[in-house]
Amino acid sequence: MIEITDFSFRYREGASPVVSDVNLRIPEGTFVGITGAAGSGKSTLTYAMNGIIPHCYPGDFYGSVRIDGLDTCEASLTDISRLVGSVCQDIDSQMVSSVVEDEVLYGLENFGVPREEVEPRLVEALNAMGIADLRHRSIAGLSGGQKQKVAIASVIALKPRVLMLDEPTAELDPASSEAVFQLLEAYVRQSGATVVVVEQKIALLSRYADLMLIVDAGRIRFSGTPAEVLAHADELLEIGVNCPRSTTLANRLRERGLYAGDVVRNVDGAVAAVKEVLA
Amino acid sequence: MIEFVNVSAAYDGETPVLRDVSLTVNDGDFVAFVGTNGAGKSTTMRLMNGLLKPSEGTVLIDGVPTSELRTSELARRVGFLFQNPDRQICCQTVREELMFGFAAQGRDDAEAARRVDEVIEQFGFDADAEPFLLNRGTRQLLALASIIVMRPPVIILDEPTTGLDFRECEKVMALVAQLHKEGTTVVMVCHDMEVVADYACRVVVMTQGRVVDDGPTFEVLRRADTLAQAHLVLPQILDVAQRLERELPACPSAIARAMTVDEMARAVEAAARKTGAGADADDAALSAATNKEGEAR
Repeated sequence: MIEITDFSFRYREGASPVVSDVNLRIPEGTFVGITGAAGSGKSTLTYAMNGIIPHCYPGDFYGSVRIDGLDTCEASLTDISRLVGSVCQDIDSQMVSSVVEDEVLYGLENFGVPREEVEPRLVEALNAMGIADLRHRSIAGLSGGQKQKVAIASVIALKPRVLMLDEPTAELDPASSEAVFQLLEAYVRQSGATVVVVEQKIALLSRYADLMLIVDAGRIRFSGTPAEVLAHADELLEIGVNCPRSTTLANRLRERGLYAGDVVRNVDGAVAAVKEVLA
Repeated sequence: MIEFVNVSAAYDGETPVLRDVSLTVNDGDFVAFVGTNGAGKSTTMRLMNGLLKPSEGTVLIDGVPTSELRTSELARRVGFLFQNPDRQICCQTVREELMFGFAAQGRDDAEAARRVDEVIEQFGFDADAEPFLLNRGTRQLLALASIIVMRPPVIILDEPTTGLDFRECEKVMALVAQLHKEGTTVVMVCHDMEVVADYACRVVVMTQGRVVDDGPTFEVLRRADTLAQAHLVLPQILDVAQRLERELPACPSAIARAMTVDEMARAVEAAARKTGAGADADDAALSAATNKEGEAR
């Protein structure tokens, strides 16, 4: 469970708060998708949830952030990182090893995972990301997308209760992006862990997230299921968030008086909407 | 014009990441290279501007092999936007960054300064700002601007919209489209199939270091075998169109061929009117409008 109460944060060198008055309760086992325009405060919000704020970025911290009851201001970063696994936006800054296998082992060994569990967890994580064949490859020779998969595998191997990913599919091809979201969804459903993803690809979020948060100017502007959030298409566009095109198509049909059904959030929904119109 | 003649390439000298590729990028093309991670797209881009030399075959720029062109000559002919702008930006101010290309060519003249001023105004940059303190989208625009200012006849964009939000993406791509309209040849690697469908005139599909399809964007995106082979995900409206073509007993061709939201909405509206659903829609629209008027009163 993630509980954020009256949270505001201003970076030490910043003139004003980057995140203001955030109140959130995220139940365990929720797939959370966060999106918003660049500079809206999405990443800062995730830094607050994984303890990077205030432990690495000092500033004015108001309110409280608790993960499984652990106050992120009082707990050490080590204790927080046992609960929250993070995949950074800049993958290269996360890599510490030169070989894929060592990168995954690094976390397992540092967390003192029993020796007999190490190999199965390593294999499981590599298989889950579809990169078993890269196990002995040099990280320097991997493509951006392959590195991203290695970074996610390294964190998944630690089986964190909260998995936090900042734009995990930025460098992935469409099929791999889809595969990552399928994997994250399976991780949520099977382990009961919470997954928080910051993502610009709203079409993916709208298909997989249980809870969507739209951040604008440091505040949570919209919060709810994808269908609830996408119902605000015009307001979303005003703050630089574009709905999936299947949603926009259904909205156009609605404007023309042809469609009066539910908010559409994926291709299946758009196909059904058109069939309904033509029935 | 860029020509690949039976080109293979390997980073370690042994494992080929590009295998026997032959293709031509003509002057004025807007071509998108698509495919899975590791398919060889970025390698192809690096070969196009001579950052990488082929292990077999020849890459020709305007008829001259890249192996015979000096780096400065290659840079003059082909501008290259890296996937990550931070690998490109190296100066202390925006103005210095934009002047960097000219300085590298030993030019520090009034014409260079005038072109930099023009670009600063066009993009609305703060000339004295420190590039690394700008947000990701602005850094991407700065990296693109530092190429455009040199006015190369060809620009290569490696994932130009990665990490950008919707507005930033639109801004960058509108600029690229304008350059193409003005005659610049654009070659782009892009995973965002909506961007590919919106902007590219031609699509080259790569998988495992080979070109498996090459043609006009919407012809390629309609070939099911290509899509399956390269694990491509269709742009949503094309996906809707193809699904409806398969699933509706008599799908109107305007729906099956729709490529944009507006085209699809218009096609569905026309089909609805034809089947009679339109009459109901007219009534519903009229009724909604009447109710709105009533509420307003």
